[in-house]
Amino acid sequence: MSAQHLRRAAEPRAAEPPLVAMEGIVKRFDRVTALAGVDFDLRPGEIHGLLGENGAGKTTLMNILYGLLQPDAGTISFAGRPVEIRDPNDAIALGVGMVHQHFMLVPTLTVVENVLLSERRAGVVLTRRHVAAVAEELKACAERYGVDVDPSAPVWRLSVGEQQRAEILRALYQKARVLILDEPTATLTPFEAEQLLPRLRAMAAEGTAVVFITHHLDEVITHTDRITVLRGGRVVATLEPRETTTRELARLMVGREVAGFAVGLREAPAARGEARPAAGEAAAPALELVGVEARGPMGNRALQGVDLSVRPGEIVAVAGVEGNGQAELEEVLLGLRPVSAGRVLLGGLDVTGASPAERLQLGLGVIPSDRYRRGLVRALSVADNLVLDRIGERPYGTALRINGQSILETARRLIQRFSIQVSRPEQQAGQLSGGNAQRVVLARTLSRDLRVLVAAQPSRGLDVGAMEFVWGQLAAQREVGVAVLLISADLDEVFALADRCHVLYRGVLVAAWERSEFDRERFGLAMGGVLEEHVESEAAAASGRSLRA
Amino acid sequence: MTSLDVGLSVPAVAWRDRLRALAVTVGAGVSALVIGGLLILLAGGHPLDAYGTMVQGGLASRFAVGQLLTLATPLLIIGLGLALAFRARVYNIGAEGQLFMGALAGGAVLLTLDAPRVPLLALALLAGTAGGALWGSLVGLLRARWGVNEVISSLLLTYIALFVFAWAIRRPFADPSVGNNLASRPIPEDAFLPTLPELFVHYGLLVALALVPVVGYVMGRTPFGFRVRAMGHNPDASTVAGIRTGRLIVWLMLISGALAGLAGIIQVVGVQGRLEAGLSQGYGFTAIVVALLGRLTAAGVLLAALFVAFLNTGGQAMSVEEGLPYSIVVAIQGVFVLLVLVADRFSRS
Amino acid sequence: MDWSTIIGVGLLASGVQLAMPTALAAVGETVCERAGVLNLGLEGMMLAATLAVFVAAYYTGNAALGVLAGVAAGILVGALKAFLSVFLKTDQVINGIVIVIFAQGMTLFAYERLFGHLATQPEIAPIRELAVPGLSELPWLGEILFEQNALFYISIAVALAVWLLLFRTRFGLLVRAVGEAPAAADSAAVNVDLVRLLALLVCGALAGLGGAVLIVGDINLWGPNVTAGRGWVAVALVIFGRWNPLLVLGGALVFGITDALQLRIQAAGGGTESAVPYEVFQALPYVLTLAVMVTATIVAQRSAQPSALGIPFRKGVRE
Repeated sequence: MSAQHLRRAAEPRAAEPPLVAMEGIVKRFDRVTALAGVDFDLRPGEIHGLLGENGAGKTTLMNILYGLLQPDAGTISFAGRPVEIRDPNDAIALGVGMVHQHFMLVPTLTVVENVLLSERRAGVVLTRRHVAAVAEELKACAERYGVDVDPSAPVWRLSVGEQQRAEILRALYQKARVLILDEPTATLTPFEAEQLLPRLRAMAAEGTAVVFITHHLDEVITHTDRITVLRGGRVVATLEPRETTTRELARLMVGREVAGFAVGLREAPAARGEARPAAGEAAAPALELVGVEARGPMGNRALQGVDLSVRPGEIVAVAGVEGNGQAELEEVLLGLRPVSAGRVLLGGLDVTGASPAERLQLGLGVIPSDRYRRGLVRALSVADNLVLDRIGERPYGTALRINGQSILETARRLIQRFSIQVSRPEQQAGQLSGGNAQRVVLARTLSRDLRVLVAAQPSRGLDVGAMEFVWGQLAAQREVGVAVLLISADLDEVFALADRCHVLYRGVLVAAWERSEFDRERFGLAMGGVLEEHVESEAAAASGRSLRA
Repeated sequence: MTSLDVGLSVPAVAWRDRLRALAVTVGAGVSALVIGGLLILLAGGHPLDAYGTMVQGGLASRFAVGQLLTLATPLLIIGLGLALAFRARVYNIGAEGQLFMGALAGGAVLLTLDAPRVPLLALALLAGTAGGALWGSLVGLLRARWGVNEVISSLLLTYIALFVFAWAIRRPFADPSVGNNLASRPIPEDAFLPTLPELFVHYGLLVALALVPVVGYVMGRTPFGFRVRAMGHNPDASTVAGIRTGRLIVWLMLISGALAGLAGIIQVVGVQGRLEAGLSQGYGFTAIVVALLGRLTAAGVLLAALFVAFLNTGGQAMSVEEGLPYSIVVAIQGVFVLLVLVADRFSRS
Repeated sequence: MDWSTIIGVGLLASGVQLAMPTALAAVGETVCERAGVLNLGLEGMMLAATLAVFVAAYYTGNAALGVLAGVAAGILVGALKAFLSVFLKTDQVINGIVIVIFAQGMTLFAYERLFGHLATQPEIAPIRELAVPGLSELPWLGEILFEQNALFYISIAVALAVWLLLFRTRFGLLVRAVGEAPAAADSAAVNVDLVRLLALLVCGALAGLGGAVLIVGDINLWGPNVTAGRGWVAVALVIFGRWNPLLVLGGALVFGITDALQLRIQAAGGGTESAVPYEVFQALPYVLTLAVMVTATIVAQRSAQPSALGIPFRKGVRE
């Protein structure tokens, strides 16, 4: 009710001149044109949804407004005055605040210290009194908008949701008149996301213009005042939510009908999933984790008592918001991070202390979440990358000689089979787009004889076509009897592929569901650490808070 | 970073990059010589005369060329090992210590064992190589097992090696006839390496030259060399793809240490004829310059070793005949390698 | 050997004095590593500074001017390191080694050019010890800490001030931020390159001061290997001290006392005829540094190391 009321209050402002007007913005990266003449305007007091696929240019456009990137052409004016935003300093001075998708906070510093980084008023010496005063001001700000976070806590100890609130708090403290949120709900649990939106509305009611970058159609329809859709670096439409539908937005965003695709992938595995369990249960697990504990980079307890098993021919998903032990789980499975307790079994063999190389030989395949850091050697050719894991094996070479010809032949075959778009196999791997880079990693990993496949965030950052391809490949591995463990923050991905699912929350597996028990709401709650019996009281408390705000 | 991107099994970089690397190096070398000319002016000499004397003294006689090649031998052997290790970004800067440990191990064989010429020499070379390998692999093990920074540990181990060596020539292997305990007893006469006919240089040169194609082949054509490059570019992705990077680090430290040790024992049997501090005029450090100027390729290291050796023997002639400080050539070396680093970066952007 | 002449108050007094050059360099290195720049050119910085100190003090006869020249030389090499690491973004390990090689060549040339013609090795006058009134009367501590030369007091004050700089000033906050998360600092409107440049200049100044303490306060002459690896030892001490200037200072004191110990053992007749070879004692500081660094690396498991150490920062490029 309160949200409805506030929206109406905001409407008259629509007639005022725009607070921000960006005109003809062009931005190129090397040969790729990320923005091809974009016009974008913001009115005070509105929540403006910026919608588009990955790579459509949403983040690039907003990074320009925040001074992190410089446009190659185009103008920006602020309240009618042309401005030049050379760096975030200028942006902050103008009253632009940004909450990044990958949070831009220094983990070893406290929230106050992070705020002090961009505070020009501070003297040379940081007196305790000054720090305390800023902390007080932050607390006041936090109370006013209901974004509670402890200013003196070191950032690395905060949950993902708390880190986001800290970034919002920083922008509020800096008296932001424009608040940009880049995919603010992507890393939040549905419960946290629900709490966030009314707070944004409260800020808008005071005249702040909020930019809400997302690719979730429902969110823009229900929570924004205007929507700008970007596709391939151009604005394809600017419209009001009441004049449109999710279906139309989807068509604008992708440039073709998408419903068929989305429905198709979601339905098909479900049908297969029902046929599978009989075969799956009979076989012994190919991958097993027993009571696994591991510490994170800061010495924190990142994984606690994780029990997990994957049988041949099934996909088991570990869902959950990143930052809850996902990275550590991936590293434990790869053999990069030692466990402090528990065992890892591969095909019944204890591989707890085994190196990545030994695990590979036992039939483990890995699609790492960071495909550039852990998947590819960017300075090497695509062909070399395709055989990186088998370079000394026949026919690619003997201990004393590499067979370049045979590498090239295999590379050509894999490039075709996995539809990798390259000019030639000798091309440097670093030049590939995200989708093609992931195809190289898939091609290398899946062209081995696998027993177990660990895929971590395999479709993150990919466009629809590449995502479709990745999902198809994972499903195909299941068909040939590989045990697949999918670590994913994307619920659509989990729904499309998984036969069974766990949720990882603060280092603990909090749920274990069969496919028949999959339910979005349940997932959402579990990802926020809320198990069903607590739901009602929590929800009541939450609505109480947002009403006060 | 100096260019690491040459000689891939399936090249991702064109021959243009090799040409560019060559052009950068030559350009930097010419600039370094110009700056060297300024230093000569500063020292009261005439640059062209001084360089003329350097060429005369360094190249004009058969004896001078022999001196040059004798000096190039250890620089080349060590430089090759360092180039290989540096490609994986394993930065062994303790070759000087590995050289002395190699000389000591080999020298111990020569001074204690009573054997016929050929087996004695073979054993000494083997022991020398092993001595250097041991000292180097210690650094490798520390890095592979616990992530101890190899730059610092290899350097600290160099100081330790120098003290061990000093003790050995003062106590167990001391020559009472030499004052101040600065040298060991001479090695048996027949353990000396023969000199190449017509040239004033020992057979160690042939060993060094033979190593050039071997190291070049290992870098460019073997799975080992491929793994070294992959690791140098991205150790994380290499580990995930099953390359045993820890083992690779130990091997690279072992190989570069072994080559430094080999250079050390060759100095004993080829030049000095006994163990003494004068075995090396900082060759282990100069070889770092050689590896970097050679752009971490085998052929490049060969050229760089010859050039640096020329600078040094020519510089000696210059200092004797023109009365200019010998250190001018040390300064030119420093300027040269600095300019290569700078020019390489500018040529890329 | 008479151990009572070796171990005692005198050992600690000369130990803390011997420690200062390394301590200052190590504390300086702490600052630039906290900012994310691995400075392996530290030995070169110290070397350049020692020569500048010596030359200035020799020609002016004024020790204070010598110290200033040393600090300036250190800052200059810091600027070179910044040029290579921060602006050209070359490999930080390589450019550090190159700086050492460069400094060795240039200092050797300059020294030979200036003093090569002299028959005897030139020396400068030592500076006086300065007893702090009152405090020098204290038993033990008085002799150890308060009967040193003026530079010693300055050094201790500077080393302690670095802690304040890192943890109690805005500049220190920026340094810690750019060393840990440069992209985050950049988006908070911090000029990462500028902070790193300044951190390197601070490091250069401290390494230069260290060089000055070595020349003016201790050996009074110059030779090509006068720093004897103190710069490298200092880098190792930063790891031992877990990037905390106070712990780093403590580590340097242990190093200095070991150094004093070996000198006194040699002096006390542990010469050529003693049962334990004197080389063992000469090697002791290096063995100890190595042992301490290995232990610290194993124990710390890198958790105290600044996350962005050694990684060049490129604006707008996500690593």
